[in-house]
Amino acid sequence: MSVELTKQGLVLSTNGLSAGYDGRPIVSDITIEATPGKVVSVVGPNGSGKSTLLKSLVGVVKVLEGHVTVGEHEITNLAPEEVAMIGVGYVPQIDDVFPPLSVKENLEIGGYLLSRREIPGRIDAVLDFFPKLKTMMTRKAGKLSGGERKMLAMGRVLMLSPSVLVLDEPTANLAPMVATQLLEEFVRGFADFGSTVLLVEQRAKAALRISDWTYVLGGGKVVLAGAPKDLEQNPLFVESFLGGSAPSRSTSNE
Amino acid sequence: MSVFLSSLGFGLISAAVLAIATVGFTMQFAVTNVLNLAYGSVMINSAFVTYYLNYHAHLNAWVAMIGGVFTGAVASYLLNRFVFTPFQRRNLLPITIVIVALGVDLCGTFGLQAIIGGSYFSYKQSLGREIHFWGMYFSTLQLIIMGICVVVLGLIHWLLKYTRLGKAMRATSANPNLARNSGVRTQRVISSTWLISGALCGLAGTVFAMNTGVFDATSAQLYIVLMLAAMFLGGPGSAYGAMIGAVTIGVATELSAGYFNPQYKEVIAFVVLLGMLTFRPYGLFGSEKTN
Repeated sequence: MSVELTKQGLVLSTNGLSAGYDGRPIVSDITIEATPGKVVSVVGPNGSGKSTLLKSLVGVVKVLEGHVTVGEHEITNLAPEEVAMIGVGYVPQIDDVFPPLSVKENLEIGGYLLSRREIPGRIDAVLDFFPKLKTMMTRKAGKLSGGERKMLAMGRVLMLSPSVLVLDEPTANLAPMVATQLLEEFVRGFADFGSTVLLVEQRAKAALRISDWTYVLGGGKVVLAGAPKDLEQNPLFVESFLGGSAPSRSTSNE
Repeated sequence: MSVFLSSLGFGLISAAVLAIATVGFTMQFAVTNVLNLAYGSVMINSAFVTYYLNYHAHLNAWVAMIGGVFTGAVASYLLNRFVFTPFQRRNLLPITIVIVALGVDLCGTFGLQAIIGGSYFSYKQSLGREIHFWGMYFSTLQLIIMGICVVVLGLIHWLLKYTRLGKAMRATSANPNLARNSGVRTQRVISSTWLISGALCGLAGTVFAMNTGVFDATSAQLYIVLMLAAMFLGGPGSAYGAMIGAVTIGVATELSAGYFNPQYKEVIAFVVLLGMLTFRPYGLFGSEKTN
């Protein structure tokens, strides 16, 4: 991996965070922490508030109570562009690229905060990490396959050398082999390089395989937390996420 | 054949004016999601600023046009800043903004009429000599207008394709939230879009008035139909689609005027508009998602 791809990670933490739409909380009293060099995953059933939690961290959804910090910076309710400036790269679950723009233009927009002279070097660094994108620089992002599109979405956030990567279900709609490669090679790779990675993932088993710590969300709250090997021993977790049914406290308000 | 070629000539000049207007109109819609039905009234008010500078301040019409362009840019910026943005912040239904724009259009048009009266006006400007080729007739003035159109559309292409601002405008149009997550200050991009598209509006108003020869406060009232038809033909929100749509509508309306009653030439635009809305509402160059 290029040594310039990401910056040294910063601690991302929330304290008593509640967030939602129109003043109504979807997630509440969330206290989590993601540290440099680690993959911290958030798993939970559909509607448990995982995506809302991530959106509230990056300024897309309003924080109603509590705090979000990145390193020394308080980023609670900062505008998304200010969160990006501080070094938080966010890849949403859907609408993660600009479909009418070419792959190259998507990367250029990813580097919007850089000077004109810095952009070509950054694009080269990103292409070294995702060499497959080299052959499709002039192709419209809307014409890419699911896996290519996700690589582009990650490449776009890497343009700013983020300290913290916030990834919302990067394997959604991907074939199992592509999903495994994406998680084990790329997502784990970011953390191994020293970045902080906060990952929301629907594929609980796959997420646990690459995670250092996992939070389990249910009904908009953290219901379990622990190292993957400990969670794998927890009967409730095993029943709910590794082959059983969803927890009864889940809601469908995400 | 002579009717066809002379109508085609008229069509090309109409298309040039319409293309300038429609590209600005569709840029506003693409980047800010505002269907600005007040565009026509800003056009005609800008045309009258050019008229004032030309007729009363005795400036050459081409120099006076700068005043019209400036007026369009400033009026459009202020319209967005103080009218559309406050309404958009209230998260109202999109139809509300359309109705607000319609109200602004009526105020702008009939407010102007209340000031200047119902008379017709024209610029102090020579049409220049008449040039014939391939059976078509153009005045020097018309050729200059077509030249302006080509240069302006070329500049818009350069802006959108090769500049940082243009790429940010396209990104904001495609996905404003993702653009913000990428560090784009979308409010600045939106303000710039209104200034640029407003300048196009002011330019379109002036060349529209130059091309029609005589004009009054309500001359651009029906023009919005042609712009809507051109925009929906090309694909709502697509600047390149707007260029193609404008050429098609401009030529089609003038050809129909050559063979039928010219008073009903807007009908062909209505037919195209209804046809596109029925069968392909995302236009020739838009995607289903745009729809």
